[in-house]
Amino acid sequence: MGEGRARQGRRRLIAVVVLGALVLTAAAWLDVRGHGATRSEQAAVVRAEARLAAVQKEVGTATVAKATMTARRAQLGVSMVTTQIKLGGVSSDLGNTQVHAYLQGVNIKTLQICLGGVQNALDALKFTATAQAAKDITAVSGPCSQLTGGTAAGLVYPFDFPDPSVIEAGGTYYAYATNSVAGNIQIIDSTDLTHWTVVGNALPSLPPWATPNLTWAPSVALIGGRYVLYYAVDPTGSTTECISVATATQPQGPFTDTSGAPLECQNGLGGSIDPSSFIDANGSVFLEWKSGGPGTSRIWSEQLAPSGTSFAPGTSPTLILTPDQSWEGATVEAPDLVEAGGHYDLFFSGNDWNSANYAIGAATCAGPLGPCTDASPNPILTSGRGLAGPGGAAVFVDTSGSFWIAFHAWVPGAVGFPNSRSLYVRRLDLSGPVPAVGGPLPSAGAPAG
Amino acid sequence: MAAVLAGVLFVATLSLLIADIVHQHQGFDRAQSELHTTDRRTAALSARLDQLHHDLGLLVTEVGNDTTALEQDTSQLRGAQWALGLTQASVAQQGTLISSLQTCLGGVEAALNSLAVGNQDQAGAELNAVSSSCTEALAHG
Repeated sequence: MGEGRARQGRRRLIAVVVLGALVLTAAAWLDVRGHGATRSEQAAVVRAEARLAAVQKEVGTATVAKATMTARRAQLGVSMVTTQIKLGGVSSDLGNTQVHAYLQGVNIKTLQICLGGVQNALDALKFTATAQAAKDITAVSGPCSQLTGGTAAGLVYPFDFPDPSVIEAGGTYYAYATNSVAGNIQIIDSTDLTHWTVVGNALPSLPPWATPNLTWAPSVALIGGRYVLYYAVDPTGSTTECISVATATQPQGPFTDTSGAPLECQNGLGGSIDPSSFIDANGSVFLEWKSGGPGTSRIWSEQLAPSGTSFAPGTSPTLILTPDQSWEGATVEAPDLVEAGGHYDLFFSGNDWNSANYAIGAATCAGPLGPCTDASPNPILTSGRGLAGPGGAAVFVDTSGSFWIAFHAWVPGAVGFPNSRSLYVRRLDLSGPVPAVGGPLPSAGAPAG
Repeated sequence: MAAVLAGVLFVATLSLLIADIVHQHQGFDRAQSELHTTDRRTAALSARLDQLHHDLGLLVTEVGNDTTALEQDTSQLRGAQWALGLTQASVAQQGTLISSLQTCLGGVEAALNSLAVGNQDQAGAELNAVSSSCTEALAHG
């Protein structure tokens, strides 16, 4: 019994010991495993930290590189802006200089062309070939117009061409003017109102009673199938201007004056000058002109016979305008009557013809025989940029029905110089109560061809 | 007595083992937490690095383009400066020529006006006065 208990006790002791050993073994195994896992995890942490450090280093490197590139780009941007500013400045300078060079080149070419024509004219004059000289000069009128600086003001013929009269015939414009080296009455023609060519002398011979080289202020109109030229001329042995008349079968002449005496003289009023014909809508023909000189000048009108070569029977001169405005300087002259839209506009010149005060005015008339009153207290065209002392106006209609005004003027700086009143042509607006002088043709003065 | 001593030894050993196991668990947890934190930071930094590389690539391209553009502008500037120099020289030369031509033309016009009023002697004198300018202008024109 006691032995059995002892044996049972040993068994229990052995079981407890075995159990304890198993527990200790399990605990030790768990402990060892835990150590391994912890070491493994710590090694992973070390590796991760190393990787993190490497990435941090790369980030640092990339950040520095980015900053460097950003600075480089900013520097490039500044350089680009600076270069572009410089380029803009140089390009602007270059553009301006090229324009300057171009303009100078144009000036040189223009000067050379003009000069060539003038030299040819001089050569012709040496051999007294005045007609050839006039043609040589005319051939370079465009370039010379540009040089004189009046093209913007309407200068189209930069040579002596005072008191112009312009008509259109068959699509060609003919302009007539006071005597010069080209003859008693100059003729030039044009198809575009810009480029004018010398035709020659409209009045190769004068009637026996007339004094040579004293012919002025022509006016030409197609009357009764003939071209009729009115002009002023001094009778032989007289210093009083008179008006005479010549006819031709074509606008370029030659005009022939078969008269035995002047058409009008008004000796008691200081003479008659500046004739200008007017054809009314009903076909009636009138002549306007000026009598007297400074302080006594008057503008007259009288009906002509249907032929235009004599006054209508039973008529007498009618006074239609006297000087009454301060700008006129007691002188009105060079009349030219126009009918447009049912109203009559009388164009005239006022003040001293040989000064920059000379100007063009306009009056409104009740009819061809007046009475006329100033359309404005001021002139409609005065000295200005590119022209001085405008006067001798003549209104004409172009092939499209538009109104134009031709007049003479000096280029500024040449006022009073003999034989240098040039031809100008400008647009004319007659739609308002006061006629308005417009601009020139865009190509006025440009070299032909 | 021996049994008691063995029991005490057993309990002590077991306690040490359990304490160490708990300690290892805590260390493992800390390491795992650190690892997660490090991984997150690495991932964030990697993303930033990718962005930096992307930005850097763009910058390099832009700098290359800007450099090319600057070289072109510089080349254009040099060309314009060269053309400006030539044009300025030409303008100066033309100015001299124009001066001669204008002097010549002034005399010829004066002569022509004298001829127009029949004064040939005066015209000849006026032409002679500008003959050198005319010769120079026509020779270099």
